[in-house]
Amino acid sequence: MLLTIHGEFRKLTTIRGPWLLLAAGPLLVAAGISGLVESGGNIHDPQVQTQALAHVGLAAMLTLIFGILAVAGEYRHGTITDTYLSWPGRGRVIAAKLAVYALAGAAAGLVSSLTAVAVTAAWWAAKGSALQLSAGGSWQVLAGGVAANVAFAAIGVCVGALVRNLAGAIAVALAWIALVEGITGQLLGSGLARWLPFYASEALDRASLSPAIRLLPQWGGGLVLVGYAAAFTAAAFVTTLRRDVT
Amino acid sequence: MTEVEVRGLTKTFGRVTAVAGLSFTAPAGKVTGFLGPNGSGKTTTFRAVLGLVRPSAGEALIGGVPYRHLARPRRSVGALLDATGCHPGRRARDHLRVLAAGDGIPDRRVDEVLRQVDLASAGTRRVRGFSLGMRQRLGLAAALLGDPPVLLLDEPANGLDPAGVAWLRGLLRRLASEGRTVVVASHLLSEVAQTADQVVIVSAGRLRFAGSLGEIGQTDNALESAFLKLTMAPD
Repeated sequence: MLLTIHGEFRKLTTIRGPWLLLAAGPLLVAAGISGLVESGGNIHDPQVQTQALAHVGLAAMLTLIFGILAVAGEYRHGTITDTYLSWPGRGRVIAAKLAVYALAGAAAGLVSSLTAVAVTAAWWAAKGSALQLSAGGSWQVLAGGVAANVAFAAIGVCVGALVRNLAGAIAVALAWIALVEGITGQLLGSGLARWLPFYASEALDRASLSPAIRLLPQWGGGLVLVGYAAAFTAAAFVTTLRRDVT
Repeated sequence: MTEVEVRGLTKTFGRVTAVAGLSFTAPAGKVTGFLGPNGSGKTTTFRAVLGLVRPSAGEALIGGVPYRHLARPRRSVGALLDATGCHPGRRARDHLRVLAAGDGIPDRRVDEVLRQVDLASAGTRRVRGFSLGMRQRLGLAAALLGDPPVLLLDEPANGLDPAGVAWLRGLLRRLASEGRTVVVASHLLSEVAQTADQVVIVSAGRLRFAGSLGEIGQTDNALESAFLKLTMAPD
C-alpha cells in the first residue's frame, strides 16, 4: 500500500496542471473577500466577517475538479493502463488516490484559510477595524471550509473513477453545482433539499449562499457530506474492480 | 522457466465475441510472433493476459499465475500496448520513475533503460514534444524497466526509423537468447519472419495456426501466403 501511495505522490509531483488548479483557490478566496468589501460589506458586522472567511469553503469546487483528474485524467492520457500494470490491485490504487488527493485537498484548504485570514485582516485594518478571529465562530467557519476542501477532493476522485471520461466527469460535476442541485432542491422542497451534497457543504462551511433553504447545523452538514463521500467511494470501488480496461 | 499460457480464453463485449476459445503457449527462450488481421483479438488477448480485461471463460497465466496475483508485476512482465499513453506534461524520466515506484525499482535502473532505448539525452524533456518514434522508445523502456523474464509487445516497431527497426530486431533476439519469453504482435510479416522462432496466427478470435516458423517456411513470401490463406479461410 505504501508503494502505491508513493507512486501516486510521484505522479502528482511530476506534473503542473493539478497544482495550478489548486493555486487558483487562494486567489479566488482573496478576490472574493475583496469583492465583498468593495461591494459595500459592513466590516463592523460580525456576519460579514463570517461571510468573508466562508470563501474558503467555496474553493472546494476546485478540489472537486482536482479530485476528478486523479482517475479520469489517467483515462484522458491513457496512463491508466500502465498504472494497472504497475499496480494490478485496483482497489489499492483507488485507496491510494483517495489518501493522496484528500491530503492535497487539506493542504489547499489550509493555504486558502491562511489567505482568507490574511486578506480579511488586511481589509479590516485598512478600514480602521480589526479582525476578531475569536468572534462569530470564525474558527468553525475555517475548519468547515478545510473539511469541505477535503471531502470534495475525495468525492472528485470517485466521480472520476465512475465517469472516467474527463470532460464528461467535469461537466457532470459543474452541471450539478450550477443547475441540477438547485432544481432538485426546489422539487424536493426546503426540508429535503438541505440533505443534498452542496446544501450540506454550505452548512459545513457556513457559506450560506441560499437564504431560502434552512440548512442543517454545521456538524450535520459535515456528517451528510461524509456519507456522500462514503457512498461514492463504495460505488467507485465496485465499478473499478469489475470493469475492463480497454 | 516463465511461459505465457492462454487456455480456452474467451472474451465477449456485449454481443461481440473478441476471442473465442483461444489456447496457445509461448515458451521461454523463444520469440513468439502473434499474428492476425485487424480486429482478430490480439489486443484483447494481451489485455486478458495482463489482467486488464476479465475473461468471459478460460484463463491466461504467466508462469502459472494470473497477472493480478504477481507479487512484483513490473519485475515479472514487461508490456507495450498500443493504447499506452504518457501525460504530455510529464518528463520522460519522471514517467518511468512513476512506473518504477510500484515495484520499488531504483532510479539507477530508470537511467539504464533510458540509455538502452537511446533516450538518455531526452529524459528531462516533457513527453509533449516527443515524436511517435520517441514515444515508442519510451514505451519500450517502460517494458524493459523491471528486467522482466516475460515481454509482451504489441506492434513494437511502430513509428521506429529503419535503424530503430534493426535495433529492435537485435534486442528481441537477445532477450530471447537470455532465456526470456518474448511475444510480439505485429502486422509486419517480414519482420516476424526474421525474428520469430514460432508463430501463433489468429483470425476472428480463433486459433488458426500455432507452430514453428519452419513448418511454414522461413521466407517472407511463405509466411505471407500462409497468413493470408489461414486468416481468410471461412469459419
